[in-house]
Amino acid sequence: MSEWKPKIVAFLCNWCSYGAADLAGVSRMEYPPYIRVIRIPCAGRMDPKFALAALREGADGVWVSG
Amino acid sequence: MIGYIDKIKQISKQILEDCKVDMVIGFRRGTVPMMNEPCVAKTEDDVDQFVWDGHCGINLANYLMGRKEKIGIVAKGCDTRNIVTHIIENKIDRDQLYIIGVPCKGMIDRRQVNNRFEGVREVIDQGDTVKIIGADFEEKLDKTDLLQSNCATCTHPNPVIHDELVGDPVEVPTDIDQWADVRKIEAMSTEDKWGYFDDLLKECIRCYACRNACPLCYCPTCFVDESTPQWVGKSQDPIDVRTFHFLRAFHCAGRCTDCGACERACPVGINMRVFTQKLEKDCYDLYGWEAGLTTDVRPPLDTYRADDPEEFIK
Amino acid sequence: MAHMGVESERIHFSWVSSAESTKFVRVVNEVTEAVRALGPNRRFVKSHGLDRQSYDEKAA
Repeated sequence: MSEWKPKIVAFLCNWCSYGAADLAGVSRMEYPPYIRVIRIPCAGRMDPKFALAALREGADGVWVSG
Repeated sequence: MIGYIDKIKQISKQILEDCKVDMVIGFRRGTVPMMNEPCVAKTEDDVDQFVWDGHCGINLANYLMGRKEKIGIVAKGCDTRNIVTHIIENKIDRDQLYIIGVPCKGMIDRRQVNNRFEGVREVIDQGDTVKIIGADFEEKLDKTDLLQSNCATCTHPNPVIHDELVGDPVEVPTDIDQWADVRKIEAMSTEDKWGYFDDLLKECIRCYACRNACPLCYCPTCFVDESTPQWVGKSQDPIDVRTFHFLRAFHCAGRCTDCGACERACPVGINMRVFTQKLEKDCYDLYGWEAGLTTDVRPPLDTYRADDPEEFIK
Repeated sequence: MAHMGVESERIHFSWVSSAESTKFVRVVNEVTEAVRALGPNRRFVKSHGLDRQSYDEKAA
């Protein structure tokens, strides 16, 4: 197997971090390609079961950002 | 303890006679030793079935949700705290209730009795001692040796709300470390913690008796029953079992009164209180909160304050 | 989570405003590094009846 790449599920708030991610993209900034972004309507939408489901299905990390 | 029952019966009959309530929920003798069952008395004759001893561990607050009638309820310290939680969560109105408060001296752990003795036929709670009668033996033991683990570390044995008390409040022990078990686990390494819970949960058969016994678990559709999307598998896969217990504990955070109903109901004897206790300890450490002590304050997970702890956020 | 034996470094919380793309990039880096340092999540994964290696191969 080639070098291990982490799988990180990122739960990003539509209005905050998702916007920041968009801005980072528009500004052509570079960042590690290991995050899988899931857009949530607000960080308040986050539920412990989302994090558990992500890990259970094989994610290596979970990142919640408002 | 023994004296309580006369008072309970007397009050129950009185409030039924005065039509203050439509029914009184109490305990009657179960068909198996050490298992008193809930009993709804609607007439004064029904009240005569009532009993009170160290086998009344079921949390009667469980039977109040969404009721429209006026209800009298026999409640221990932890039960009243759950009633307070129900009132806060609008599951029942204070005016509907007539709470017969019982200062509690702890409930007997039937598992310990069954582990020590074989063929127990009857267990009689005599106040400070417990008489255990089997087919060919009779033993007397100190009650303190046989208490449920949550009762042994109970800090609120006296009812927090009540319309009437059936006896003088019992002395509240002050030298008890109710989080001792949690601290023990907190001190473990990540590896050991994982192993500890693996071990703890390997017997679980996913019968959901803990959920059914818990007065807090009243969601119309529990997350384990949801299928689109399915958050947790229905198998006995260790990860599914863990997810279930873990999420259930999360749902009880800041609400659990450590009444021990879940543990008592478990057919395989899992101490799932180690999950809920950790969250109760966190609520206490972070917000100074103990569930169900007053109806005047909203619980911390229900409100926002500018000084809420946020160290975990980057 | 940590209480249950999942490494606490697997779960991160942050607050990034929509104007803070630099902070976003910084946090992505931090999170990635933290998770990389931990290595693969072998604990809280439901195996679907496969061992981890064949699961990895299938997932790849």
